[in-house]
This record gives sequence, C-alpha cells and structure tokens, in this order.
Amino acid sequence: MRVTQNTNFNTIRDTIQTSRGRMEELQNKAATLKKLNRPSDNPVDTAKVLEIRTDKVNNEQYFRNAKLAEAFLNNSDHAVDELVEVINRAKEIAINQSSGASSTDETRLGVAEEVAQLFQRAVSAANTRIGDRYLFGGYQTDQPPVNVEGRYQGDAGEMMVEIGKDVFLSMNLPGIYVFNTNPEKSVDYQNLQQKEMLEAKAQGQEPEEVPPPKLNADGSLSHTGQENINVFQELKNLRIGLLTGDLDGVRNTLERFDKLHATLVASRSRIGSRVSGLLGSINAMERHNLTNAELNSVLEDADMAEVLGNIAREETVFKSVLSSSTRLVQPTLIDFLG
Amino acid sequence: MGIPNIMHTGRSGMTASRTAIATTGHNIANANTEGYSRQRVELEANITTDGPGEKNTIGQGVKVNNISRVNDEYIEKELQNGTRDHAHFEEKDIALQQLEEVFNELDGDGLNRIMSRFFNEFRKLSNDPDNEAIRQSIREATHALTNDFRRLRKEVEQVQAHIDSRIAAYSTEINAITDEVADLNQRIRAMEVRKASPNDLKDRRDLLLRRLASYMAISTHKDGKGGINVDIKGVGPLVTGNIAQKFEVARTQAKPEKGQPENSLELRTSASANSVVTHSIKGGKLGGLIAVRDQTLNTVLDRLDDLAYSITKNVNHIHMQAVNREGMKGIPFFDDLATKERASAYMKLSDAVAMNTNNIATGFDLNAPGDNRASIAISQLQYDRLLNDGQATMDDWFNSIVSDIGIVRNRNRASLAQTKNVMTHLQKMRDQVSGVSLDEETANLLQYQHAFDASAKVIQVSEEILDSILSIKN
Repeated sequence: MRVTQNTNFNTIRDTIQTSRGRMEELQNKAATLKKLNRPSDNPVDTAKVLEIRTDKVNNEQYFRNAKLAEAFLNNSDHAVDELVEVINRAKEIAINQSSGASSTDETRLGVAEEVAQLFQRAVSAANTRIGDRYLFGGYQTDQPPVNVEGRYQGDAGEMMVEIGKDVFLSMNLPGIYVFNTNPEKSVDYQNLQQKEMLEAKAQGQEPEEVPPPKLNADGSLSHTGQENINVFQELKNLRIGLLTGDLDGVRNTLERFDKLHATLVASRSRIGSRVSGLLGSINAMERHNLTNAELNSVLEDADMAEVLGNIAREETVFKSVLSSSTRLVQPTLIDFLG
Repeated sequence: MGIPNIMHTGRSGMTASRTAIATTGHNIANANTEGYSRQRVELEANITTDGPGEKNTIGQGVKVNNISRVNDEYIEKELQNGTRDHAHFEEKDIALQQLEEVFNELDGDGLNRIMSRFFNEFRKLSNDPDNEAIRQSIREATHALTNDFRRLRKEVEQVQAHIDSRIAAYSTEINAITDEVADLNQRIRAMEVRKASPNDLKDRRDLLLRRLASYMAISTHKDGKGGINVDIKGVGPLVTGNIAQKFEVARTQAKPEKGQPENSLELRTSASANSVVTHSIKGGKLGGLIAVRDQTLNTVLDRLDDLAYSITKNVNHIHMQAVNREGMKGIPFFDDLATKERASAYMKLSDAVAMNTNNIATGFDLNAPGDNRASIAISQLQYDRLLNDGQATMDDWFNSIVSDIGIVRNRNRASLAQTKNVMTHLQKMRDQVSGVSLDEETANLLQYQHAFDASAKVIQVSEEILDSILSIKN
C-alpha cells in the first residue's frame, strides 16, 4: 500500500476533528447537565419529555383547581353544619313548646322571637361567600342565593372543576338540593323552570310548556307522594305556629325537622365524600408528578459520572492523537540526505 | 557502432533524466494541489537502426515515450458519486440544523408550553368565571399563542429564504464550472490531436466534474476524442464537447400541488426542453436543498397550519355557542379562518375579545356568572383527538412535529457520518494511487540524478576515447 504524506496529514486532521467533535458534544452535555439538547439527539425521548412537561404544567393547574374546590367544599360544609345547628335548636324549641304544660302565650312569644333569629341565621348561612362568590347559588354566584323571605334565587348549576386529566368534580352544592328534602317537588324548582322557560322564550326558542305550580293554602306544593320540606319554610311554619298558639302545627314540625336534619346531614356526607375524593386525587397527582420527574430525569438528564468519565477518556485519546501526530509528521527522506 | 553514436546515447540519457527530474519536481511542487495526479515519465529504449550484417545490435539510448498521469478512472467515478452524496447530506444538515433550532423546545419557552398555558388559563377561568384578572390573562396568553405561531412560521420561512439564496449562488457556481469544463474539453482535444499529454488539464477537469457532482446527480461519458460529456440525470445534456448549457433561477408563483412555496426560486436550464427543472434535480447540494425546502419545511408549515386552524375552529365553535357577560351569543374568540392555508400566519384574537374582556364567554346559561361549562369545554380541547383524523391531540400533533424534525435530522446525520467515512476511504484510495509521496519522489530524484551523472560520464568517456583515437596519429 502506498501511503503518502497527504494520507498521513489527512488521517491526522480527521482523527483530531473526530476527537474534538466528540469532546464538544461531551462538553455540551457537561455544561447543560442534559443529554437531550436538541430534538435530533433523541427524537422519541424529546416527544416524551415535551409530553411530561405539558403534564407537569397541567398538574400544577389541577392542583390549584383541587385546592380551590377544597376551599369551596369546606366552606359549604361549615355552612351546612350551621344549618344543622339551627334545625337542632328549632327542634328543641318545638319539643319544648309542643305540650301545653310548658307552653304559655308568653313563652311562645319569646321563643317565636328566637325562631325569627334562627331564620336569620339560616339565611345568612345559606348566603355564605368566598371572596365575592356565593357558595349555594349554583351558577348565580353574584347575588345572595336566598332572599329575606327565604326564597331561593339561585339555579341548579353545578360548577365543575377539573382536578385531574378528565377528572371532574362539582365544587358547589346548589342550594336547591341542600335546603329541600325533595327538591323536584319544591316551589323553588318550579320557579326555576318558569324562569328558564322565560329565558328560552326571550332567546326566541320554543320551550316545553311547564305547568304553573299548584299551591296549597299554606304555600306548600300540592302533590301526591313524598312532600317537600324546605328549611326556611319550616322555620316560618314553626314561628307562625308559636305566634298563633297552634300547638298541633308546632308538633307537626317535629317530624319535618327530623327529615330536614337527615337531608342536611346527607348533604354534609356528600361534601365529605367529595373532599376525600379530592384529597385522593391530589395524592395521586403528587405521586404522578414524582414518577414523571423520575422518568423525565432518566430521559433528559445526563449521567454526570458517565459524562466526566467519557471526557477523561476522550482527553487521553486526544493527547495520544496529538503526540503520535508529531512523531508521524517529522521524518521524510530529505531529513536524512546529507 | 560509432563513437558519435555513443555520445548520442549519453545525450539521450541526460535528456531523459532531465525530463524525469523535471517531472519529479513538478510532482513535488504539486504535492498539495487538490485533484493532482502524480505523473510518470515513460521511458523507452531507442531501437537500433543499424543495417543488416551487424551481429551485435546495441540500442541507441533512451527516449521519453510519454509523460502519463497515474490515475484510476474507477476511483475517480466513485469519488464523483461519493462527493455527490456527501455534499447532499452535508447541505441538508445545515438547513435541518436551522430548522431544528427553530423548533428546539427543549430549552426555554416554546409553543408546547405556550399552548399548555393557553388551555390552563381557561381552566383558571372555569374556576372563577367572573374574575377580570383571569380574563385579562387569557387575552395575554392568546396573544402569546398567536404570536408564537406567527414566529414559528416566519422562522421556517426564513430558512426557506436562506435556502433560496444558496440555490441562487450555486446556480452561478455551476455555470462557472460547466464553462470551464467545456473549455477544458476543447483544449484537451486539441492537445491529444498533436499527441501531447494534457495531464494537468485532465486532473483539473476531473476535479471540476467532482465539484459539479457535488451540486446534483450527473452522469459523465467520454466522447472518444478526449472530451467528456456531462448529463444531468433525468434532465438532459449539460456539457456537450465545448458547449455548456446555462443554469438560471427565477421567482415563481406558488405551486401547492408540487409542494412549492410561494415566491420560491425555480431552477431553469437550457439543458432541458422543459426549461423548469426544479424538481427534476436529484441528489447533491441542490437536490438536498430543494427537498428540504419543498418537502420537509412545507410539511412542517402545513402541520403548523393544521394545528392553528384546528385551535381556531374548535375554540370558536364552543365560544360562539356560549354567552358573554352581557348575555350575547355568537361572539367568535378568534377571527374566523376560511381555509387552512397559512392559518398559522393569520390566526388572531377576534377584535371583540381584544377590545373587551366581557366578550369572553364562559357559560351557556343567561345571567349565570358562575356558569363555567364553556370554559371547561375549551380547556378540554387540549385532550380531544382533533387532529390526524381523530388520532392525535393538539399536544401530540405539535410534539410530533418537533420529534419528526429530530428524526429527519438524526437520520440525515447518520447518513452524513456514513458518507463522510466513504469519502475518507475513497480519498485514501485515490491518494494511494495518485497521491504524491515525497519520500518516493526524493528517491526518484536521487535515482534520476545518478542516471544523469552517469549519462554525462558516458559522454565524457566517449570523448576521451575519441581523444585517444585522435592522439594515435601523433
């Protein structure tokens, strides 16, 4: 094989270039601590890393969502708890005043005043806010869900929040489901449907006709089957019973307060189960973040020990290339001619 | 044999050695000349012309038969192909590197992150639909989104423009090369007619053909009279004898059916009956650049457009069914787009939303400030498989653009490394055959010098013999 000086020089140039190229790449890894610096370094891992990043950003948002929902639900829980207390106290009063033995016109007037106070407490609990948003109004977050008359002003809207990819949870209990034992038979419900119909008409749509509610003399709905009991209505009923000395009426409220109590407790347990679901998904999310971080590190981070080892090796290679080169380029025949 | 004949023999030896020394000098001088092939003096013994009856015939010295170059046509041809492939991948790599920089989402904010932010702003809005600050920040996130789409498109188009300017420069270089090849063809032919050896001209022509091959796939064949004809593969003759065809570039209208972007450069040549040859050129730098410009980059732009169009259409579809804060329906979130064409450039927040954040609609019920269903529906678009015939989410789609660019460059880099190895190997092979070895030349130099000295000695001796003969008389 003929080997010329140019072959030698080209080989030297090539090996130096190759070695320098590898050192450059290693240097880049060492400087960024990453093995993925360009998509072409590993296209498939790049896509995965981007996916994980999106996941991470979204999870942060879901986490904030979950925290907000938690605040909403916890506050709702406090408010319902307050209502439970109001109902308990009202029931106590009703028990005390239901027998003629302990009930006189004077005591009844006195406790009627307390029942009025309880009514106020109930209304204010129903109108609990976070910031400037009312909790129990459904989508109607900008106005008190219950007016001074105890009538429901909100709607049945459930505000869903995303607390995980495609995992939704309602962060509010619309008051209509909290304050009534049988919401579909309630006046509030009928009113709501009326309102929706009017709005639909205003938008030029032809809605289904909803028959106007039939009311009994006492303002409750007349229907067969399970009757509806409303927190505010019942407090009113108790007060009227006390003021008019209608002991039967007072006695009647007892059973109804029990039913209301059961409904409110059911609402609380609904809230409780949502909160625990929430905490579960927050935990899952944190685990997920951890796994993601690990995977991301595997895909993206350079193994420093390996990189430094490779740099040291490459340095040795480079030095030996240089030293062998100096030996190689020196002698030609001319050097030995006298 | 007469004494003058011996002197003549000596002289022929001196002449031959001198020629050989000159050739060796020429070799040494050109040791580093690109494309140079070492030359050899072919010596031949002068046959005696003595008449009949002579028993011991002695030749009449030496003559220089030819000065030839040591060259292997097969290697030259392989080098041509190797250069074509190597230049092809090298040129593509430069363009792809630029493209990769545009889409390097791995460091800092890219569209991937901005898109997540856009959808997350809607998630925030769904938590608190009435919040003015979030509405403002939706507007900002949307501006960031549309700006980034525009930035990406613009930067990809800049890569295309850059490619165009290279194509223009290359077509000028090609013209210079083909002119010189045609000229060399003529000179070589003329020299071969008078039996001269146009070694250096042939070397130069081989080098030029190699350079020409680096621009595109060509085929070469000898015309039998010393000339080499060059064809562009699949197009037509580029150099025929001493006639060279011209290349030129011109701006053209868009040809979407050919994947040719608007206002891009077209290659024209007089080498083909059908003068526009942009897409007939294969291989080499030109083939590489055109492929990147009209396929890779256009595909990237199309896919960006698909994404921008899909976001615009789907967000609008939901937003227009929802009611704004004033109970109005049918307000577009983005300006409506009629076609996918250049959607990434035209995507824009609608004036209604840009002017007034109250026009961001969050729910479907009237007078329901807490209704967040529309915001949720919009944020859910991030996970809907809306692209690639229901196969890919928006994130998938964009990530696959990035990773596909990575794959293309990665593959190209592998081919580049491979063709580089092939080239190194071929260069070595050529060097083995045609390269100048200084040691060898130095040895030859000494050899010829000795031969020269010895030939001089022959003349000296024959002169002395003559003197001796002449002195007999005295």
